[in-house]
Amino acid sequence: MPNSSRTSEGIAALLLRRKFLSLQNRVLSMTLYEWGRNTAFLLMGFWMLAGLFYGFLRVLRYLSGVELIGGLLIWKLTAMSLLTTFSMVVLSSLIISLTTLFYSSDLRYLMRAPVPLRWVFWDKSLETVFFSSWMIALAIFPYFLALGRVYHYGWGFYAVFLLLMVPFLVLAAVLGMGFTLTLMYCFPSSRTRDVVWVLSSLSVGVLYMLLRFSEPERLIRPDALQLVSEYLQYLQAPTAPYAPSWWLSQALAGYAGGRMSLFWTQAALLTGAAAAAYGALLWLAGRMYARGYSGAQEGRRAYRSASVPPTMEYRLTRLLCRWGGDPDGGESGAAAALFWKDRKCFFRDVKHWSQILLVGALIGVYLFSIHRLPLDTPDLKSLVCFLNIGIAGFVLSSLGLRFTFPSISLEGRSFWVVRGAPLGIETLMLEKFVFSLAPMLVLSTVLVAVSNHLLGADRFISWLTLITIWLTTWTLAGMGVGFGAIFPRFHVENIHQIESSAGGFVYMACALAYVGATVAAEAWPVQMHFQERLGRLHAWDWRYAGLSVALLAVINLVAFVVPWVLGRRCLQRYEGD
Amino acid sequence: MIEILGLSKRFGDLTAVSELNLTVRPGEIYGFLGPNGAGKTTTVKLLTGLIQPTSGTARICGFDIQRQTLEAKRRIGLVPDEPFVYPKLTGAEFLRFVGDLYGVPHENQRRRIPELLEMFELGRWGGELLDTYSHGMRQKLVIAAILLHEPKALMLDEPLVGLDPKSARMAKDIFKKIASRGCAIFMCTHVLEIAERICDRVGIMIEGRLIASGTIDELRRSHGSGAGDVHLEDLFLRMTGSLEYAELLKNL
Repeated sequence: MPNSSRTSEGIAALLLRRKFLSLQNRVLSMTLYEWGRNTAFLLMGFWMLAGLFYGFLRVLRYLSGVELIGGLLIWKLTAMSLLTTFSMVVLSSLIISLTTLFYSSDLRYLMRAPVPLRWVFWDKSLETVFFSSWMIALAIFPYFLALGRVYHYGWGFYAVFLLLMVPFLVLAAVLGMGFTLTLMYCFPSSRTRDVVWVLSSLSVGVLYMLLRFSEPERLIRPDALQLVSEYLQYLQAPTAPYAPSWWLSQALAGYAGGRMSLFWTQAALLTGAAAAAYGALLWLAGRMYARGYSGAQEGRRAYRSASVPPTMEYRLTRLLCRWGGDPDGGESGAAAALFWKDRKCFFRDVKHWSQILLVGALIGVYLFSIHRLPLDTPDLKSLVCFLNIGIAGFVLSSLGLRFTFPSISLEGRSFWVVRGAPLGIETLMLEKFVFSLAPMLVLSTVLVAVSNHLLGADRFISWLTLITIWLTTWTLAGMGVGFGAIFPRFHVENIHQIESSAGGFVYMACALAYVGATVAAEAWPVQMHFQERLGRLHAWDWRYAGLSVALLAVINLVAFVVPWVLGRRCLQRYEGD
Repeated sequence: MIEILGLSKRFGDLTAVSELNLTVRPGEIYGFLGPNGAGKTTTVKLLTGLIQPTSGTARICGFDIQRQTLEAKRRIGLVPDEPFVYPKLTGAEFLRFVGDLYGVPHENQRRRIPELLEMFELGRWGGELLDTYSHGMRQKLVIAAILLHEPKALMLDEPLVGLDPKSARMAKDIFKKIASRGCAIFMCTHVLEIAERICDRVGIMIEGRLIASGTIDELRRSHGSGAGDVHLEDLFLRMTGSLEYAELLKNL
């Protein structure tokens, strides 16, 4: 007879112990190579955080030097940063909780085991809080480190910050989990749930666009407000009085300023709200989780024809095979088959639709922001068009992290099908490259061409930016596939584990470094172009222009070829996660 | 024809497969037996090019799996130990995908795919997404997929796990029929009754080493039992030292 009278604490300890043991075994079983690799990643991460810290330090030092309103500005910025952090954790938890709460592989075992449902939920909710917040929390940490440094706050400030971040992040994640739990409870039918999921994403996208279109930046520009008193009133007003980010920023401001009653009130409000919200979530889970989990077990019915008609895809495949000089199929046919398979799998996954909708909103906001830039002279507008390559490159790198980098890992446990087929690794990588390249080229062209049009860039800058962004897109797609092949993770439960892996981090760091190097390499010809525009005779020194082109070619070649070749080699030698 | 020449595979300190030498002739079904962790699945992965050997090589129909990988793979059919398939494809689409990967002419696919789906009683499920399929249905689909491209060498890793009795019987008959057409079949299994019934020869592997290989009668003779009076199960337990379990049972 199993021990049915195990206490709640016993169950909690048991569930936590298994996580601890998994972590311990993972660390202890690392080879020397893995120790070296992980240490290198940790160092890279540390340098990135250090970079962020010095960036924040400079900004905060500058703001603290502004007379009269310096302090107000800094706390306003702090409140806004925390609001952004809060929103990002809510969004992240919304996406992640669907997998962690309902589709984790260990749930099948846990649900069968004599563990009360609420404890299963508790276990999975801890995972959700961690996975949805650790990266965002890590990114905000240097900001507070810099804040403490600027004002010479003591260790107490950092301790308070770290302690209060826990209820803050829990509260944000609880909101996301609560939505997912309710959605799964109310819509156990998978099809309805999909529709609601897409509509929710659409609402978030529209809300984001509306928020941006309301031009909140006008409020932080003093010239947009008629009176100084209005501006001061704005700075002192809560950023979002009912949002936990405001409570946290007030608690921190209270502690830093020695206003302990404000600190205790706000800290109690935040902690109490987090405890109440989490308690309510656990209570709800007792009532809703079983039905939601049961609904999640149902597959999505497709009702598609099982016949094999001569579809357009067949005709196109055949055409591609002929172009590939391989009328009987062969590798060209296999690559075409992979392409169609990827297209089907991509568009049938509702999570991708929601992300496409959000990307659409991002493009809208991006172009609107460009349109509303307060630029006066044509020269300045053209210069911004050139610098826009950096911003567009950043957007493309981020999208690459979401769509291109995971493309090989997304073969998942079905990887044996292509690995066992007569298909070279190079062909597989090429197919993933082409699959990512096509939409990214359209997107990058829209971002740059429309921005150039909106700002009225001159002909030279227009062509230079357009050609550069095409080249950048090409290289970033290659880098994404290459790094994805160097760090494949076929045995993960959700795509976020691929993105937030060490490989994703390395890809992002390299992609950003590449974009920065591209902009730097083009700085010479752009400088000469502007000198010519400003009337300087013989502005062009063709040696520097040639050097710039050569440098650009080398940067792109290295950024494309090195990860590609390494990725091909790693994937050929791949023997399991 | 499958030829294995001095094949070894090490994972760090662990030798999963050690100096394996074996030939499976066309038309022959070779049963590969052994306790859990003996190295059977690793051998299948080596033979299909899913992982690379530490030393030695394997030839499929004369093509070296390391050097002439694509030519060799074109002739191989694989049923892995776990039938993972793309959850967002339908059954019919999965077969089309496999058909295209192996260059099966489209006219053949149009004719064969509905036939295969019907044969494995998946006809009415052919248009459903694979995430609605049970383990057994996915296993049947994977077996159907290898029939689509008519391989010359078949690697089966526990191919009958999860199949209902009717499907299991059909699968066995299918394997025999494929072998009769000249296909070499290498089959890992724990079900000794199946090995006894359909395999021409069997090999027993323990801790990465092939300790015995031959027809079941040859194994009986070499281990001091008269022909026909000892089942393969007893022979297997005697050779792998698993009879000690009787002592363990006393503690239950």
